[in-house]
Amino acid sequence: MRLRRSSPWALLGAIVAIVAVAVTLSSFLGTVFIPPLTALRLLLGLPNACAGTSVSPDLCTRWGEIVWQARLPEIVLAVIAGAALGISGATLQGTFRNPLADPFLLGISSGGTIGAAIVFDFHVGQVAPDLFLPLFAFIGAIATGVAILAVAVSRYGTVETLLLTGVALASLLSAVLALLLLYNPSGSQQVSYWLLGSLGNASWPVDGIAVGVLLITGTLLSLFGRELNLMQLGGDVARSAGVDVRRVRIRLILLASLTTGVAVAFTGIIGFVGLVSPHVVRRIAGTDYRYVLPGSALVGAVFLLGARDFALLVYPTSLLPIGIFTAFFGAPFFIYLLFRRRAGSPMGSL
Amino acid sequence: MSGTPAAAPPLRLVGVSVSYGARTALRKIDLSVRSGEFVALAGPNGSGKTTLLRTVLGFVTPNAGRVELFGDALESLSILERARRVAWLPQEESPRDDVRLIDYVLYGRYAFHGLLEGDSEEDYRLGHSILEQVGLADRADDGLLSISGGERQRAVLARALAQTTPLLLLDEPTSHLDIGHQLDLLARVRDLAHRREVTVVAALHDLNLAARFADRIVVLSRGRCVADGPPSEILSEGLLAQVWGVVADLRREPRTGMPYLIAHHLTTAPRRPGSGTGFGPVHVVGGGGAGAPYLRTFADDGYSLSVGALHLLDTDAEVAEALLIRGPIEAPFAPLGPEVRERHRALLAVARAIAVAPFVVGPSNLANLEDLLPYVRTTPSFLVSRPSIAERDFTGGRATQVYQQLREAGAREVTGMEEIVRELRALSSGPPTSSA
Amino acid sequence: MVPLAWLVVAILIVSGIGIAGAAVYFATTASGATSGNLTITDDLGHRVTLPYDPARVVVLGPSIMDSMYRLGLRSHVVGVDCYAPAFGGLSSDYSPDQIARWNLSSSMCIQAEPTFDFEALLAATPQVVLAATFVPAGALQEITDTFRIPVVVLQPPTLSGIEIDVSLLARIFGVTAGANALNTQLATELYNATVVGANASSFPTVLVTYYVDANGYWTFGPGTFGQSLIELAGGSSIAANAAFEYPELSGEQVLVANPHYLVYATGFGLNESAYTSAPFWGQLSAVQSGNLTGMDSSWLTEADPTMILSGLPALLAFFHPSSLP
Repeated sequence: MRLRRSSPWALLGAIVAIVAVAVTLSSFLGTVFIPPLTALRLLLGLPNACAGTSVSPDLCTRWGEIVWQARLPEIVLAVIAGAALGISGATLQGTFRNPLADPFLLGISSGGTIGAAIVFDFHVGQVAPDLFLPLFAFIGAIATGVAILAVAVSRYGTVETLLLTGVALASLLSAVLALLLLYNPSGSQQVSYWLLGSLGNASWPVDGIAVGVLLITGTLLSLFGRELNLMQLGGDVARSAGVDVRRVRIRLILLASLTTGVAVAFTGIIGFVGLVSPHVVRRIAGTDYRYVLPGSALVGAVFLLGARDFALLVYPTSLLPIGIFTAFFGAPFFIYLLFRRRAGSPMGSL
Repeated sequence: MSGTPAAAPPLRLVGVSVSYGARTALRKIDLSVRSGEFVALAGPNGSGKTTLLRTVLGFVTPNAGRVELFGDALESLSILERARRVAWLPQEESPRDDVRLIDYVLYGRYAFHGLLEGDSEEDYRLGHSILEQVGLADRADDGLLSISGGERQRAVLARALAQTTPLLLLDEPTSHLDIGHQLDLLARVRDLAHRREVTVVAALHDLNLAARFADRIVVLSRGRCVADGPPSEILSEGLLAQVWGVVADLRREPRTGMPYLIAHHLTTAPRRPGSGTGFGPVHVVGGGGAGAPYLRTFADDGYSLSVGALHLLDTDAEVAEALLIRGPIEAPFAPLGPEVRERHRALLAVARAIAVAPFVVGPSNLANLEDLLPYVRTTPSFLVSRPSIAERDFTGGRATQVYQQLREAGAREVTGMEEIVRELRALSSGPPTSSA
Repeated sequence: MVPLAWLVVAILIVSGIGIAGAAVYFATTASGATSGNLTITDDLGHRVTLPYDPARVVVLGPSIMDSMYRLGLRSHVVGVDCYAPAFGGLSSDYSPDQIARWNLSSSMCIQAEPTFDFEALLAATPQVVLAATFVPAGALQEITDTFRIPVVVLQPPTLSGIEIDVSLLARIFGVTAGANALNTQLATELYNATVVGANASSFPTVLVTYYVDANGYWTFGPGTFGQSLIELAGGSSIAANAAFEYPELSGEQVLVANPHYLVYATGFGLNESAYTSAPFWGQLSAVQSGNLTGMDSSWLTEADPTMILSGLPALLAFFHPSSLP
């Protein structure tokens, strides 16, 4: 008789270990070639890091800056944004009992884009673009989440109306976006680049804010595993078992919007991470949301980091928008998952 | 000041009325359930049984009146507190995830966990003992989607029992089960109720089941409580005629003295205007008991009925006879003869709709399917496809071929009873077509 | 269960602290100065301290490169803006002519937008970065704040601002004599144009287009260098009152306005044949009468000495052929 599965601490330890290895390997890759051993020494802050290479002390200093100020902030942002999108996707799929729900489908990402487009088009806050762009994107994403919530608290707030409201909002927002782009075509290049997502805005302060928000929202979201498990059986069943479904739904949507908002604010729109990650976790670890939630954060982080590394391996000096690569891998992989699922099992348990 | 909890009744309704918009679902219901009682709510479809349960669960807010759980007003209890006092077994729970049974059962422990608490060893012990009580001890590690329908309903019961509440509500818990599983599930519930002093309130549309298992039957009709008492006292031919509109024989089982009913036919006009009035005949093709639920439901809904060819002593044949439905009868185990098939075709020719139940097809009754072919082109026809024909084809593939031909000829595949009921309603409420 | 309001407040406080922290970080680090012996004010009004006559400079903008070359400072340049080699490399931002003249090689390539390649910039180990404003402001901020490399933004607000930028470069690199000579040339061309404009009886209607597609003609609108250049050359642009800075005029609009002269930019893969497919091209009287000419786009689109020394006289000669000496 098996009593328990794995301890949560072992799980947490495994997550930290996997991310640490991925981060270290990723720091070897960049647009400038630095020998991996040198990069490792620079990463660890060892003295005479460039010994054995023929580079000048000046360039060696710059290499150190490249590893610590250019690569690591970007890698950390990839981890955070990937984790944020993964856990948001899992939350939304669970809340809406729909395997297709993700921040993009529900218009939360589009809301962030509108915020960004306003900054680009109306030249808002040019005094500190690094501050205003994410701030407006964040506000846009949260505002969309709140709009969906407004429906959730009304008496028409069934899962179906919520989901359809989100989808309708997403369409509305893309129309608004198209209008904004027509109004000022010169902003359109920046906006269309934003729509493909990028890690180029990474810096330690940016990472600091993102880590802060994600630690809070991610931890809180992970506490909702039991509620989500019961909600998969239907709102009434969950309620009869003691889940205040309406309240929980509001909290989950709000937290997922905050989490998505922080990712969208700093990276633009990165597709497929939120959609695919929860499905990958379900294949590996089963459908228990107590594992799906933190698991999706981990898979999302590794997925996005992997996409960054792959982009650098294929086009070493290109710095292509990262969203191209997540979609490039995410879409075929998603289809592969669809075909590999066991016959007869419904979509929800992919 | 509600007195000691032990003294307060587990469930009390005082003058409860519920309406959905203009439609009144419950009118001034007064009901007090004693501790340890097994109460069956009976009544025809739409009489308010489910609404009553949903009101007790707090899913529906009454327009008037008061609901009390163990002496406390329902609205004064939080959702969490309610979950510790009352558990619910829904009519049908369709799980989507293949979660392990033991984990699924422990979902029911939600109301007893703190924010950061995991499932304790104690929880697991409780979960396993509950699985044992519902007869699923050896399936604890199996996935919820890999077990049969009957087992799944027991798993759902186990999840509800894991809430360890003193009050358990069941909403038509057996309507999707075959007779063996129906008896098994209710016997387990009654057993648990008596051994663990759990109070049970169950909506049951089958009066015979209600009479057999319940200590007390509360009969609802159009939202009112029309009878309330032990089965042997309240079940009467008059009540049957008044509430269900059927002529029935009330008999007593010789061994137990329990009352049981044999319904014969409709008394007068159907009870619910608009549903099935004057529509028919609806032709049901079945056999081996597969057709019985369809015959009963359609008869309940007030359609006039006919049946396909059946063998003598077949369950469906007996049900048809009890319901006074016409149909050709063949000798047991014999292939359907030309005379019987001729009579079958005559019935098909005048049918306004054809429902093909998911019956097991063998060489002896294959003709029942073959005879349908010319008629499905012109008559709205419904083929129940769950379980699939391939699983019940014992004619070496011939039946599957005929099914395919029927589909091509225009017969619609449906998944079950509800879909046909909906379709028939649409047909009967549509513009009347003149038939010769 | 944590109350919802409590949770929101906690999150907002933490994000607030984070954002405020970032603001403080930016504010304090931006004012931190590196040691150097020259302090100048760039075109954005920022005071920048930088080493005098830096030997290693990264130039982000062909217009700045033009001035550097004309002042004899090519040898100081260790990196220039471009896209990655797979997506055009140097030729994305520089014409073949410029690459050849300025002896640019792909090893100098530093992607400036849309994602700034900080690694390539750092690997070039520059002492100073000279940048035009097309480079994302956030990237420039990070170069100064995080990597402590002084950034001088050179983006003249007007045509005469080009002279000011030449003077600024002269101060940084100590090439006063060369700068004076160049500024004298620039002043002469500007003066010539003013004289022609004053003597002209009327300004002919013109269209200067740098790109066409199936819908119409892209051109310069109000407030742009292109527009100033056209006016200075004695032309009256049919897009002078357009709503946008870089409007696209539809074929119908151009046909109705029917400009007397038509100038199309070449280079960057565009030649005359690319323009002939534009709507109503054949019906325009400028095309029918042969009052059209192609011009190197670097003469028209980059605010630098070449615009004044080559673009301006060419447009003058085309719009007012009789008034030139």
